[in-house]
Amino acid sequence: MTLAPESVARPAHPRQVITALMDEATVEAIANEAWTALVGEDELLVPVPGDLPADTVSAWVDVVGPWTGSVVLTTGRQTAADLTRALLGEAAPELLDHEDVADAIGEIANVVGGNVKAALPGPSTLGLPVVGEAPVVRNPEDVCRIDVLWRGQPLAVSVQGALPPLPTPSPVHDNPHPNGASL
Amino acid sequence: MKILVADDSRVMRQIVIRTLRQAGYDDHEIVEAEDGRDAYDKVQSEHPDLVLSDWNMPNMTGIECLQALRSSGSGVPFGFVTSEGSAEMRDRASAAGALFLIAKPFNEETFKDALDGVIA
Repeated sequence: MTLAPESVARPAHPRQVITALMDEATVEAIANEAWTALVGEDELLVPVPGDLPADTVSAWVDVVGPWTGSVVLTTGRQTAADLTRALLGEAAPELLDHEDVADAIGEIANVVGGNVKAALPGPSTLGLPVVGEAPVVRNPEDVCRIDVLWRGQPLAVSVQGALPPLPTPSPVHDNPHPNGASL
Repeated sequence: MKILVADDSRVMRQIVIRTLRQAGYDDHEIVEAEDGRDAYDKVQSEHPDLVLSDWNMPNMTGIECLQALRSSGSGVPFGFVTSEGSAEMRDRASAAGALFLIAKPFNEETFKDALDGVIA
């Protein structure tokens, strides 16, 4: 008997999706703990979903291990600036620059990500925070997301898998001679 | 007493410094370093009495900094303030000669628990 190629390629122990490893209540508890410690003791995340504005910013850290993916914090730009002021407290400059905001929300993502990683099966490694446009959701089944309000403003924390990879065009077909070399 | 705070995030350095103050350690000189390499250099040049360092940093991580310091003969008291506090990391920190590991998020009580007895 010959096995079909896809059966051969299937791993003996398929990777678990995040929802099999963690629930929303855990993500919410981790986020709340980070908020209380970093933003302020009286700062609450209210578990009420709100519509994110069109102009958002995201910060994330990657977790690589038995589960591989990203822990992504997304909020509106103004909320990100408000968060930065709350984190910096008296040390906040009169005018915030992009670097301050990236640093602040990156650090929140880092703390939330570190604690998400700790709740996942290991060993795993945690990347450095990245700020920009959120990584795309590759597998909607592999997402654990909470939508909350902070000071009435919407904010999302998404723990999302990096697998399976999105299909990428093969460079061989796209451009057989990327350096301009000729046969 | 001079305390070196090493973190690649300026925001987190501010939070660590603020938490030190809230925990009652408010009359100490603070020196900042922006990664492990900078921390290593500032231990040599500033001679701090204690290093509070992040783990994950570009250029040189906190654990690499601690290992480099011990290899160079420095016995400066060293503790981690990091977003990861797994048993494996605590073991690695301890084996490399760290006095403690404070996991983020932390508060002034966490700081007091770790630092009482280290800071006079």
